[in-house]
This record gives sequence, C-alpha cells and structure tokens, in this order.
Amino acid sequence: MTVAAGIGYTLLALGPSLSLFIAVIAKKPFLILTLLSSTLVWLISLIVLSGLWRAFLPFKTASLWPYALIILTSVAFQEALRPLFWRIYKRLEDMLDAVADRVSKPRLFITDKMQIALAGGMGHGVAHAVFFCLSLLTPSFGPGTYYMEKCSQMSFFLVSAIIALAFVTIHTLSMVIAFNGYAEGNKVDQYIVPVIHLIAAMLTLINLAHGGCIISIPLLYGMAVVTLGHCGKMVWTKLAENRSRQGSSY
Amino acid sequence: MEPGGSILESIGQEIIGVMSPVSICMFLVVLLVYSLYNPATATNAVTIRTAANLVYMESPTDSTAQKLEGSLLNAAVFIIIIALVTFLLVLLYYYNFTNFLVYYTRFSAFAVFSSMGGSVLLSLIQHFNFPVDAVTFCILHFNFTIVGTLFVLSSGGPIVLKQSYMVALGIIVAAWFAKLPEWTTWTLLVALAIYDLVAVLSPGGPLKLLVELASSRDEELPALIYEARPTVEMRNSGVRGSTLGLLVGGISGDNGRSTGGGVELQAVLRNDNNNGNENRDGESIINVLENGSNEIEVVREDVGESSPLIGGSNLMERLPSPSERRNNDNAGLLEGNTNSRGSRENESQREDFAETGLRGLKLGLGDFVFYSVLVGRAAMYDLMTVYACYLAIISGLGCTLILLAVCRHALPALPISITLGIMFYFLTRLLMEPFVVGASTSLVMF
Repeated sequence: MTVAAGIGYTLLALGPSLSLFIAVIAKKPFLILTLLSSTLVWLISLIVLSGLWRAFLPFKTASLWPYALIILTSVAFQEALRPLFWRIYKRLEDMLDAVADRVSKPRLFITDKMQIALAGGMGHGVAHAVFFCLSLLTPSFGPGTYYMEKCSQMSFFLVSAIIALAFVTIHTLSMVIAFNGYAEGNKVDQYIVPVIHLIAAMLTLINLAHGGCIISIPLLYGMAVVTLGHCGKMVWTKLAENRSRQGSSY
Repeated sequence: MEPGGSILESIGQEIIGVMSPVSICMFLVVLLVYSLYNPATATNAVTIRTAANLVYMESPTDSTAQKLEGSLLNAAVFIIIIALVTFLLVLLYYYNFTNFLVYYTRFSAFAVFSSMGGSVLLSLIQHFNFPVDAVTFCILHFNFTIVGTLFVLSSGGPIVLKQSYMVALGIIVAAWFAKLPEWTTWTLLVALAIYDLVAVLSPGGPLKLLVELASSRDEELPALIYEARPTVEMRNSGVRGSTLGLLVGGISGDNGRSTGGGVELQAVLRNDNNNGNENRDGESIINVLENGSNEIEVVREDVGESSPLIGGSNLMERLPSPSERRNNDNAGLLEGNTNSRGSRENESQREDFAETGLRGLKLGLGDFVFYSVLVGRAAMYDLMTVYACYLAIISGLGCTLILLAVCRHALPALPISITLGIMFYFLTRLLMEPFVVGASTSLVMF
C-alpha cells in the first residue's frame, strides 16, 4: 500500500532469516558462500522444473490434479537434490579439515557442521521467499492493494508473506535435520524431511478452494512448529552428547 | 565452548571482500533504477546520443530485424572505440606518459562525479521532492566531487573512503548506461564480454600488453581499480621498489596425497603473531596451494583500460603478501610434513620481509559497471529476474576467482558472469516466470 507496507511484507517473510543471517552467518565468510551456492542450486532446480512444465502451462482446468502433479514432481526433484548436496558437503568437509590441519587450527566443530547445514537450508528458504513471495510484492510498494477472492480476509500480499515465512522455516531447518540424518545414518531423520516438505506443499493445495487459506495457514504453521521442535530436540541431544563426550575425555 | 577460532571464520574472506562491494553496487543500482525509471516516460523521452548509440537510435516502433541490426552496429562501433582508446593507452604508457594518464584519470573521475553524478542526484531530488536549495546542493556536491577526485587515485586516507568512492563511481556510470535502449544494452554486454576475453587473453590484446608492460616495469598503472584490502605503505621502499612485483614460487611437486587434482583455498594468517592468532582487523589472505605442494600464488598485475567514459579496467588479479610464506613455515613446522614443501620452506624462511604490503584481490571498475548494468536492465523487467541475474553474476565471479587461483595471471572478469547473467535472465523470463507466478498467485507453493 505504501513503501512502509511493502517493507513490512518483506520483513514479514524474511525477517527471521535476516536476523539469523546477521547473527550467525555474516561473521563467517564461508557460510555466506554456502548460502549463495545453495540459493543458486535452488534457482537452477526451479528453472529445470519450469522447463519441464512450460509446455503445459497455463492450466485451463480448475481441478486439483494438475497442481498436485506439479507439486509432486517439484518436491520429488528438490528432495532428490538433497543427497547430492550431502555428498558435496562431505567432500568439502574433508577439504576443510585438511586445510585446518595445515594451519594448525582445530578441525570442524560439531557446531560448525550444523552451521553449514543451517546456511545451506537458509539458502533454500531465502530463494523460496524471493521467488514465491518477494517478486510479487513490487506492486505493494505503490498506493494500492490486492485481495484475492478465494482468500478475502487478508490482502494477497499478507497471505503470501505469511506462507513464505512458514516455508522459510521449514526449508532452513530441514537441511539441518537431513544432514544430521545422513551423518548418523538415522533413517527417521532422513525420511522425515521429504515427508514434511511434501505435506507442507500439499497443504497449500487447500488454498485453491474458496476460503481454504483459513485452514491451510494454521496447518502449515503446525508443520513448521513440528519441524522446529524436531530440529531443536535433535540439536540439543547432539550437543549434550558431544559435551558429555568431551567432558569424559578429560 | 570453542577453544579458539574455528576455521570457518577465516576461509573465504577475500572472496567476500570482493563480492560485497559488487553486491552493494548492484543493489543500489537496482534501487536507483526502480525509483527513477518510469516506463511511460522512457519511451517518449529523447534518448541522448552517447558513444554507445552513435549509429542507431533505437525506438520501440522499429521491427525486430531493424533493432537487431542496429544494435549490432552500435555494439561494433562501441567496441571499436574502446579498442582504439585502449591501444592509445598502451602507446602512451609505453612511451612513459604515465603522468598524463594519471591526470587524465583524475579528470575523468571528476567529470563523472560532477556532471553525471550531479544529474543523478538532481533526478533523485526531483523525484523524491527533497527540500534542499540550490546553494546547499552546489556546496555539498562540490565537496563530494573534489574529495572523490582526490581520493580515487591516491594511496593515502582511509581505505573505506576510497572503496566507497569507487562504488559510487560504478553506480553513477551504471545508472547512466542503464538508460540505453534494451536491445542495444544486451548486444553491448555480449560484445563487451567477448572483447574482454580477447583483449586479456589473446597475445596481441591491448590489455595483455598493458599487463606485461606494467609488470616488466614494476609499476602500478594509473587506473581505477577497486581494491579489496588496505594497502599498507611500507617504510623500506628501497627493498621492493614499488609495491608491485612479480614473484613466482613454489614447486608443483608430486605429492603423496590421495585426493585428486584440486585447488585448496587456505586462509593464512599474518606473520606477526607466530602463534597463529588471527589478526583482529580481519586482514587475511588466501594462499592457494595445490594438494601438498607449497605453491604460492603470486602474480600481481595492474591493468587499466580506459573506456570513453571512465578509466577503468576489466581485469582482476591478486596480490599475496610476503607474509604468507612465513606462515607456511609455521604450518609446515607444526605439522611436520615431509612432502615436497620442505625444501621450499627453507628458502622462504631466509627471505627478509621487512615490509608486509598486504594486498588483496583487485577488480576493475569496468566490471562493477557492467555487472550493475546487467542487473539494472533485469530490474526493468521484474524482481525475479534481478535475483536470478544477481546469483548468476555472483557465481560467475566466484568461478572466475577460482580460475584465478588456478591460472595465476590476470583474468577477464566479465565473460563468465555476463554469459551466465544473460542466460539466466532469458531462462527466468521465458521459462520460470509463467510457472512461478502462476503457482504463487494461486497460493500453491512448494
């Protein structure tokens, strides 16, 4: 509606990421590079997906099936990229450890590894927020606003920003969970991430129905809270056992 | 909880040191374009005839073939002009007219700041209705211009000021270039990328000649180059002559490491603190090693290329400091490796490095300008294209930096980034946008 509203919507979607960035990532240049490369990978995956689906767009039907199919293929493709990410990360970790040995600094701490995973996940989240929410926010910097008929309680920009926030959280934290799962070979962690992603994406299909966003947004935030809780619990136990391991070695 | 600094804090600092001013420049140009660019008035406005559209003035009513042909002609003429001027520069430098070049660069910086910068500021004031009167504006602008002209080529003063003025210069020139019509802009960018590649890498290229001249004389070329690290002027000027030198060191020995070919980027600490504490000012350098061998990367070349508008350069080079050798000693001793680096260390230990002219990565101002022009042109379409082009350019810059670490001589910074940028722009505009906008306007996201 004005510049203030536009900035407000932007911060709504990207505020927590901004604070995470300033607090954790900005100090370590390597994490910034990780963030940029994971954003790039997400962008490339989006381009590939749109290349695949370009011929079928725009959809003429109002039914659910084409959208569900799009979501299924997109989520499958992006989740398939995650083990690839993990393998690249493993190689990077070996290189970093070798470099650390060479300059006689300590090797990567467990917090370092989790920070790298966090930066990777945040790259995905920021890319999602920019492409799905921010690029549509440009009109909101002007003097008007826009309401969707299917979700007429709030302005379109607000709904979009709120959904983007939930997704940013989910993306950021899934990478941490996934990396931990791959590192420990924990099947639960490995599979819970694609499942969460798929459920969250499917929940947005409810938005196609009239008044659907009232149901889907709380459910989406429920998923985000579940992810947050799972990630927090996992990180806590991991840090605790690391501390106890360190304590017992002295 | 952590005993000392972890390695994550020091790796990659130089890359970020180059990427952040580029990002800031692009961001500010995007903001400028968004606030000042008005599609309705742009088509009716009288386009100024610059060096870039001498031959063909594009108007939206021309047919596609006409536009293509006209913009190719424009690009060809522009490249010819730039090539001629660069050869002139080589000639002048060869005959030792260095002072003339310095004064000319200062004059062009003055012209850019005063006239082009003034007009950008005036449009901003007009657009946002800032309540400032003409006298105040003149005084402030005059101050800004004079300080900028003084600082841009001198080595004294705080480095942040010099860097900010460089970025300001890049922003002003990019904002002006972004006013060019669309087809001309794209063909110009492609042509410049090709020219940069040819001029820097081919044996007869003017920029390559300049590089060799400058390095053979051990001098710095008077050109507008952004430097990512402060230059510490050292006392023993006699030992090194100028701050520029060409050292090649290292053995490309075979090694016992099992990791395959690859380049490791290593952050090396200042040699003052032998216990390896990192300098709190954040000055650190990247030392490039091949696995196991102690190849220290060296080149330093300063190059300038003057375009008709500014004296800038499109090259990038990297300057390590002598201090990194001593640190390799420390690392080597502590690690007790017996691979090929052992013999090298003994040599380097004995060298007397009284000065530690810490240098960092250098990026020519022309690169700033043309990256920002690309992103500015993307901004005239949509924010999605802006982000895609930004990522493409940054990743191109990263690739070029890695190549620089491998190749060890001056490299053109434009080709990879511009190619990726243009590719991503058209891919995003044609492929991704219908998909993503269609999905997100129905609030279907993944």
